Amino acid sequence: MLRKSVTESFGAAVSSLNAAHLTDGVIRRSKRMMLDTLGVGLLGTSSPVFNVVLQHGKMYQSKENSSVWGRPGTFLPPYYAAFVNGVAVHSMDFDDTWHPATHPSGAVLPALLALAETLHSKPSGLELLLAFNVGLEVQGRLLRFSKQAHNIPKRFHPPAVVGVMGSAAATAKLLGLSPAQSMAAMAIACSSAGAPMANAATQTKPLHLGNAARRGLEASQLALLGLEGNKQILDLESGFGVFYQDYIPQHLAEVTPNGHYRWVLEDQDIAIKRFPAHLGMHWVADAAVKVRTQILTEDPNADLRQIKRITLRVPSSRYIDRPIPDTEHQARHSFQFNCCSALLDGEVTVDSFSSKMMNRKSLRELLHKVHLENPEDNPASFEKMYCEIMVEMARGETHTARCNTFYGHWRKPLSQEHLVRKFKTNASTVLTSGAADGIVQIIENLEKIPDCSVLGSYMQFHKHVTQREQSYYSASV
Amino acid sequence: TLTSTLTSTTRRQHALQRTAPEETVTSSFGRFIQGVQPSHLSPKVIQRSKRMVTTEVFDLALQHCQHMYAPDDISFVYGRNGTKLSPTLAAFVNGVAVHSMDFDDTWHPATHPSGAVLPALLAISDMLPKNSKPRGVDLLLAFNVGIEIQGRLLRFSNEARNIPKRFHPPTVVGTMGSAAACARLLSLDPTQCSNALAIAASLSGAPMANAATQSKPLHIGNASRLGLEAALLASRGLEASPLILDAVPGVAGFSAFYEDYAPQPLPSPEEVEMHSFLLEEQDMAFKRFPAHLGMHWVADAAATVHKALMDLPIRSISPNMVQDILLRVPHSKYINRPYPESEHQARHSFQFNACTALLDGEVTVQSFQNEAVLRPELYELLSRVRVEHPQDNPANFNRMYAEVEVTLVSGDVFRGRCDTFYGHWRNPLSEESLKKKFRNNAGAVLTPDRVDALVQAVDELEYLDDCTPLLTPLQ
Repeated sequence: MLRKSVTESFGAAVSSLNAAHLTDGVIRRSKRMMLDTLGVGLLGTSSPVFNVVLQHGKMYQSKENSSVWGRPGTFLPPYYAAFVNGVAVHSMDFDDTWHPATHPSGAVLPALLALAETLHSKPSGLELLLAFNVGLEVQGRLLRFSKQAHNIPKRFHPPAVVGVMGSAAATAKLLGLSPAQSMAAMAIACSSAGAPMANAATQTKPLHLGNAARRGLEASQLALLGLEGNKQILDLESGFGVFYQDYIPQHLAEVTPNGHYRWVLEDQDIAIKRFPAHLGMHWVADAAVKVRTQILTEDPNADLRQIKRITLRVPSSRYIDRPIPDTEHQARHSFQFNCCSALLDGEVTVDSFSSKMMNRKSLRELLHKVHLENPEDNPASFEKMYCEIMVEMARGETHTARCNTFYGHWRKPLSQEHLVRKFKTNASTVLTSGAADGIVQIIENLEKIPDCSVLGSYMQFHKHVTQREQSYYSASV
Repeated sequence: TLTSTLTSTTRRQHALQRTAPEETVTSSFGRFIQGVQPSHLSPKVIQRSKRMVTTEVFDLALQHCQHMYAPDDISFVYGRNGTKLSPTLAAFVNGVAVHSMDFDDTWHPATHPSGAVLPALLAISDMLPKNSKPRGVDLLLAFNVGIEIQGRLLRFSNEARNIPKRFHPPTVVGTMGSAAACARLLSLDPTQCSNALAIAASLSGAPMANAATQSKPLHIGNASRLGLEAALLASRGLEASPLILDAVPGVAGFSAFYEDYAPQPLPSPEEVEMHSFLLEEQDMAFKRFPAHLGMHWVADAAATVHKALMDLPIRSISPNMVQDILLRVPHSKYINRPYPESEHQARHSFQFNACTALLDGEVTVQSFQNEAVLRPELYELLSRVRVEHPQDNPANFNRMYAEVEVTLVSGDVFRGRCDTFYGHWRNPLSEESLKKKFRNNAGAVLTPDRVDALVQAVDELEYLDDCTPLLTPLQ
């Protein structure tokens, strides 16, 4: 019997995995990811970048019916709904992060929900859960094809590489594509993969997730129409391999209808962020808070502006080394900024990145006192990095603290209570508290929900728009 | 005379402008796109770029867009009377059409420049209100900006001079070219132009593995539409990396797509007497039949052997006569296919094109239809082909050659060689040949009067006050 290609094994897996293969662990973890993603997405609908892409998407009004999150009565064709909602999810760099590094959920969930809303026969919560996990699984497997992928990226932004593949796989699953069509979806998606790192820390970065979501969806739709690509897309160096310098693809395990399937999410948990900034910032913030506590414990009246010098020992990564950030996007990607914010305030929050907080004199002065060191033993890897902070006070005494694993990292996951609290805090900036509670309930019981597209309606339950107005919007559409 | 009047006016205007502050490569591109004027177009560039305007039609992508996105009454689809789509989807579908049969133009360094640019520009033109349509010269200028940007970017890497192995060039520079062209036509300011390029960079790059598959045409379609999207997003104020084209150690920008990358700033149009467009120095190759460019060398070489064989008393070619066919071609995996199984693979097969030309004396549009592809005589010939990659035959469209050596059962050996096929930039198609190609293609879909109208519109393009005469016949 001829050995299947790697590509074929992916096509087969995407097509054949069924709900029986979902383990409890995977279900629990993926539901946490869904909730977090919806919350950060809602918060993100208040961002300027979201506004830009929404105006753009609205150019193409049509009869299609997928909800734009946080905008009652606004619907777009699923392709554009996936795009704008994906942008919302990553607009503040608040979404989940995995190892090897990528932001897996933002590429997948918006596409699935947008698609679900337009299907004639609405998928159940369990089908959504399955498709979502297929999208994650494909991303996780692809990331393991390269050692380079294990480190903080330098060349291509991972969500733009594996995210679009995950979206294609997930939507292929929801559409019930055959193994051959699932392969085709991934091959087509591959021609949409890849965006350079230089656009990270700019307003365009969120589009990487939005584009991954929409173009993966499109790939599945094209595959459904019969479009084909290279049947060995994952096997070839000139295929998916172009995005890596070291590329060694592996077959996915054979999927038997009643057998066991080992999901990557089972073995490797996800990191959930506590504040909206690049993951590397979380080590820095936790270490800074520790140092601050040390300083204040010794002297409760200590004046932090009396700090003479701050030494930050962090991994070497050019795009998150920004001494004096100018924009909110840059601030989210600045070791120095997050260190100083945490030192001054005892925490980094959503508000830390507002213009007012960014332009504080005390903060800007402190930024000038920061010196970065890149110790040899501190690799640019989210699995292995640490942050050490040494603060030298005016009178010469020094305080040092270190963070190896921040709270929220996969080694020290957020408690369920804190996860739900993060969601509610985010969601309540946009939705009514009833809607926010409703979403928490739906996700918690997702396996039993008969129609998952209700999530889309909940995501539009705006707190400032009354019920009456909402019915007007939906009737007019 | 038109050109010279414009030149003196703009020269005076340029004298008033101050030089820009500290320049990055990226900002130099932004300034060029915004600052270049019709007066900078030389007659040669005008003539060459007009030759590049061609049309074709295609199906599946259109179906996709019509199924998935209800039509918006804005932009037309080539050759589908009354079918309209949103501008980006029209650009997509029309771009797919252009590259659907691998029949579109090819440049050096290698890419298919026009298909990425023209559909987007036409879609924008359709989008603009009736009394604000761009002038012909505006369209021509925007088109040339799109081509120029592509050419400049390709020269940032030595790797780009060879037949590609990793990323399909239209998806790397094509998207950027489309963004630049659209930014120009939309009259964006220099910063917006730079942002358009940077946003487009995040939409660039597709792997070579999808070449020779049905997905390849989408590379051009996507380049066109995504470049247009990038320009539209930039016009709404979206910002991206201001250093996207510059080489920043540790953070890849556009350099992500190349192993060796050395960017150069574009001279500002005010700084130089006459901006020299690359199209002036480096002409375009137009294909005579719908297949990968490399096939044209092999076809011409095989055709000379066919002719020699036809001169023999027997006056026919039968596989039984042939003992061995040796092809001496450059080494390039994706166009080396002994037994192609689909029309897309056939367009990317040295062996197929050589054997077809041996049998028929030429390769044509019909050569890729099923009946022709599945001919038993063809298969027999294919089974006798060997391929060699001589050291002196580089995988480079500027320097490669093809040799076809046929050994007959009788022992006689016939050899044909092609260094420069007819249609290559060194041996360009005559106006007559180009127009004949256009009429054959367009005539398959449009009525004769529309075909004539298009030929005329392109001929007079720089004099049209309003490009509607170009748009209407296409619908």
